[in-house]
Amino acid sequence: MSQSLAKSKHPALPPDQPGAHSRRLGVVAVIATFGGLLFGYDTGVINGALEPMKADLGLTAFTEGFVVSILIFGAAVGALVGGRLSDIYGRRHNILMLAVLFIVGTLACVFSPTWEVLAFSRFLLGLAVGGASATVPVYLAEVSPFEKRGSLVTRNEVMIVSGQFAAFVVNAIIFNAWGQNDVVWRYMLAVAVLPAIVLLVGMLFMPESPRWLSSQERDTEALGVLKQVRSPERAEAEMAEVHALAEEEKEAQTGGWSDLSVPWIRRLVLIGIGLGVFQQFTGINSIMYYGSQLLTDAGFSAEAAILGNTLYGLASVLGITIAIFVMNKINRRAMLLGGFALTTLFHLLVGLSAYLLPESDLKPYVILTFTVLFVFFMQGTIGPLVWLLLAEIFPLKIRSFAMGLCVFCLWIANASVAFGFPPMVEAVGIGATFFIFAGLGALALAFIYKYVPETRGQTLEEFEDNFSRKYA
Amino acid sequence: MSVIAAVPDSPEGTAALQAGVAEARRLDTDLLVVSLSLRPLDLSALPDDVKIHVVERKGRDDRDPVDAVLDEIGLHGAERLVIGVKRRSPVGKALLGSVSQQLLLDSPVPVLAVKTGQG
Repeated sequence: MSQSLAKSKHPALPPDQPGAHSRRLGVVAVIATFGGLLFGYDTGVINGALEPMKADLGLTAFTEGFVVSILIFGAAVGALVGGRLSDIYGRRHNILMLAVLFIVGTLACVFSPTWEVLAFSRFLLGLAVGGASATVPVYLAEVSPFEKRGSLVTRNEVMIVSGQFAAFVVNAIIFNAWGQNDVVWRYMLAVAVLPAIVLLVGMLFMPESPRWLSSQERDTEALGVLKQVRSPERAEAEMAEVHALAEEEKEAQTGGWSDLSVPWIRRLVLIGIGLGVFQQFTGINSIMYYGSQLLTDAGFSAEAAILGNTLYGLASVLGITIAIFVMNKINRRAMLLGGFALTTLFHLLVGLSAYLLPESDLKPYVILTFTVLFVFFMQGTIGPLVWLLLAEIFPLKIRSFAMGLCVFCLWIANASVAFGFPPMVEAVGIGATFFIFAGLGALALAFIYKYVPETRGQTLEEFEDNFSRKYA
Repeated sequence: MSVIAAVPDSPEGTAALQAGVAEARRLDTDLLVVSLSLRPLDLSALPDDVKIHVVERKGRDDRDPVDAVLDEIGLHGAERLVIGVKRRSPVGKALLGSVSQQLLLDSPVPVLAVKTGQG
């Protein structure tokens, strides 16, 4: 989940020659992306742990939805607060605190005696997840040379889905080894503490972001950090770019609520919110959180379900990887419309299979296939594209506020779907639930067709000019 | 002592801009335009007998447009504030606030309030 990449004019910088600093930059990138990994792992680990947890703690469909979604509600708050805190106290400081919170939250979850305590612990974890989503991409973008910036931030997105995939695989292994144990879910949640410790220890040796230091009038330290991760000539030259980018960042924080009174700005913000909400209303995260149970409902045994569930993780990783190559070769609108058309199609197919197919050995596999294809196409189009559009459509001055607002709404939509999914499936079954998703997909198609502008092939200035004139 | 015009991205802003130029001419002084818009201002249509400076909002401290304008009044010792006003629905005011109303009440200097279509 990436923040905007500052589009700045680059004064001609000497190329970043490889050297000792490149290795250090590599280490910095690896450690920082553990933040993304934790994000993915902590959101994915609940999948697979839910069935045993449900039995052990006596959860109903309602409390199940509550326990799962409260982490996401926490993330909504964490993203807002985390962004501000990292501006005030620094990125490194923030990531260190997040690592501690990850450790504390995970241990609290592992040792929770009741679902209420578990819910509270997951809320704490959610704060860390949200904070990581806001801080880690910013840190990565600020520490990397501009040539590598795009790929390092992308690597973060891949780390997130890889974290989810890893959680699915580890849970499958643990379940198949110790599944007869009532408290096996505690083992599953406990594994997440390991990457958190790596992040904490690793970040202790990491430098602060040079751009943040510069914005705090600590230029000598900023140069010091740059010398650690760039060649010496490049470090000096880059200070000017650091200043320019710090100024740009300051400008990005100018706009606020009052600017929503301007019609074309209000329209852009509403489009951004719509994109985020419709992305979540595809139900992608219902599958990432409840996949194992979805598969048992479809007819698999518990062991088979948790194994089949790993395919969702794999489909995500493959989908995003392909999206990275394809994203700048296709128009955004075309890719979104195509993506929603495909996901809606697969939603319909799942619903139809659930209703029309007779109970047989084949039925669960049909549902598995259609849902895996849904996940693949979702993560290959709509998933990353919405984040890209959010980073592209807003004028610089309102970018910080607008993205904060849109991301918040996106998390809330995520949490709402997560909250409502188990009661909905219990009430009306898989078939009807997926028909509802298909209906939402149709609405999404109409929304995108009518409102979402094309951004590919234009500079931000051109886009802003055209859009503001058209909708003044 | 100059005239300050608060210019949002709207017809009221255009009205305030034009009235600001006229007022500055009348008081034989220059005009400081505080642009509340997020896109660059177009000053090409304005007469060039009055000296015009433009200040844009920048950074979190300027997020509140009322504070941004009041700060400029204090900084430059202006003698007049020019604002554009329009009727707002109660819901509109509740949701988005009224910058003009706040400036009218909080300005330390006399305020000239114009509606769109007035000179």
